[in-house]
Amino acid sequence: MRIGSYELTLKKRETLAGWQAAVISTLAVVFALLLFSLVFVQAEANPLEAYKEIFDYAFFNPFGLPLTINRFIFLLLCACAFIIPIRAGLWNIGMTGQLYAGALSAFAVLFAFGVKGAKSAEYPGELIIPLMVVASMLGAVVVGTIAGYLKGKYNVNEIVVTMMLNFIMFWLVSFMIKDGGPFMNPGGRGESFELAKSLYAPLYKDVPFTVVLALGFALLLYWVFAKTKLGYQIRAYGQNPTAAEYAGISGVKISVLVFVLGAALAGLAGYHYFAAVPGVYKIARSYNFQGDLAFYGIICGLISQGNPIAAIPVALLFGGLTNGGRFVQGKLKLGFGIDYALLGVLMITLVAFQFFYRYQVVLVNTRKETPDE
Amino acid sequence: MNEFFIRSLDASTIFTIAAIGELIGQRSGVINVGVEGVMLFGATLGFITAQVTGSYLLGFLVGIAIGALLGLLHGFFSVTLGGDQVVSGMGIWIMGFGLTTYIGNPYTGPLGMDRIPTFLGVSPFFYVGVALVVITWFVLSKTSLGLQIRSVGENPSVAEVSGVNVSRTRYWCSITGGMLMGFAGAVYALNYNPVWNYNFLMGWGFIALALVFFSMWNPFIMLAGSLLFGTLWQLSLNPQLVLPGLFSRYVWRTVPFAITLIVLFSMSMKWFRTRWGAAKPEALGLPYVKE
Repeated sequence: MRIGSYELTLKKRETLAGWQAAVISTLAVVFALLLFSLVFVQAEANPLEAYKEIFDYAFFNPFGLPLTINRFIFLLLCACAFIIPIRAGLWNIGMTGQLYAGALSAFAVLFAFGVKGAKSAEYPGELIIPLMVVASMLGAVVVGTIAGYLKGKYNVNEIVVTMMLNFIMFWLVSFMIKDGGPFMNPGGRGESFELAKSLYAPLYKDVPFTVVLALGFALLLYWVFAKTKLGYQIRAYGQNPTAAEYAGISGVKISVLVFVLGAALAGLAGYHYFAAVPGVYKIARSYNFQGDLAFYGIICGLISQGNPIAAIPVALLFGGLTNGGRFVQGKLKLGFGIDYALLGVLMITLVAFQFFYRYQVVLVNTRKETPDE
Repeated sequence: MNEFFIRSLDASTIFTIAAIGELIGQRSGVINVGVEGVMLFGATLGFITAQVTGSYLLGFLVGIAIGALLGLLHGFFSVTLGGDQVVSGMGIWIMGFGLTTYIGNPYTGPLGMDRIPTFLGVSPFFYVGVALVVITWFVLSKTSLGLQIRSVGENPSVAEVSGVNVSRTRYWCSITGGMLMGFAGAVYALNYNPVWNYNFLMGWGFIALALVFFSMWNPFIMLAGSLLFGTLWQLSLNPQLVLPGLFSRYVWRTVPFAITLIVLFSMSMKWFRTRWGAAKPEALGLPYVKE
């Protein structure tokens, strides 16, 4: 493309510095939000006003902010669950199934202690809560291992496998909580029994302790990728599996390991949303919503380019956007599913912007090379 | 029981049409993991069009058209931009999932039109599906066009040297595949299950994708697989036909997905591959850069 005597050309990037990736990612998000304002226009709402409402509610409203923080914890865990395998070149889109497995395992601990139905009874929380956390991670690991093992050992496409597991777990949750399933609420409205009050996750200023775990794991993960041998092996495998195998890195080991670690975090996300967020404390009828929200983890992971620390602000932003989106949907009387539509627009914009991570647009002054006659 | 077989054939038809679309794309070296997204778009827009205009024909045409557009978009991302095809396919799936939830929500509920008449007791789309399988097989293995498509999928640089336009071939295969996926979605929403609900495909697109891997890129094996999975799907909805009273109905719903996993796993084992060989297109998923 020519502009005067300048020519716009494309150059393939040799390297991508951290700040360059950050600029491109920010531009992608801004572009997606601009594109998304068309949805507001089509719904006859003023986009500026709508975005102002979204951010006001999500980050400055005493009711909205705690909800945003809870979604942030959930999304950060889901993002890390996606990031670990993607660094090894593998796609974990099974966060949904893994977090369902985590939630079911956490509730299985309650079930084993006979918590079902007695909301005000006293239980030893200092024993049961840690057990629930560990169980949620282990339960999810079982599901994740299937995908990692099948991929590593038999080269079965991990996207299909994790997606199949999502549907299997979705129906298993229905089985457990509906139609007289073992976890059904005695009141019987197609949802699980509720946690006893003594087993609510400890809060600090309305924020459950899972925030420490989520942030801690993100930092730990950054360190693992940057400084340890394991992190190096995962990255090497992701860049060139064949070369890595020649260098003595076991493909089976790496793919099982990344799915085990990723799934454990997704399971923790399941514990967080169903047993630690104030006001939930049960697997509700509409549990599919939390499952769908986990797909934002893919977007967070892609935008942060696999960097767990970069995923922190990204998860916070999307926690706020989805939460505020639901709010303006009610306030401005928009159609249902604003947050779903945003998910779609963000994702496809991001795919288009992948191009700029690989190529750079340069402005060349052609006058010097071809002087006017 | 007869009703059950007819419903199974209807279900198989949808798997067949969507999977044949994916198969055509993959034969040219373009993998589209977003089958489910394209189907959701075809289903939702086809449903809305048919309900608003009262015309089935327009509904199907819109379903096919949106499929073609998404196929074009996938072609643009993976051929022109040379990007990662999995990223693009994922993008199309999540975009389809997100946008159709928003767009279709006001239309939640039944279609409210007369059912499409059957032909010789079976839905007319069944014959369309079988015809598509035969045509695809014929074109791919008996014509020069098919040779061109397969060569692009196996070794694009050699194909280019022998005078085949790799980019154009891949574009057309991606678009044709998208049209078939969109059509399959429209058949689902207008004939098989004419009640719109958010994300109402519940994994059909991903099973279609698995069917292509299962078929070893052979249209006839794929048809057989579709018949198997159509029947399985229908059985999972009506477990009382086989084992009344055993397991909750929700456990039965997991069966088609579990069997998909078992099938994919067994065919990836060494004894299977050494006996039947893998016919996977060599250049599947790899972007082609002209030298």
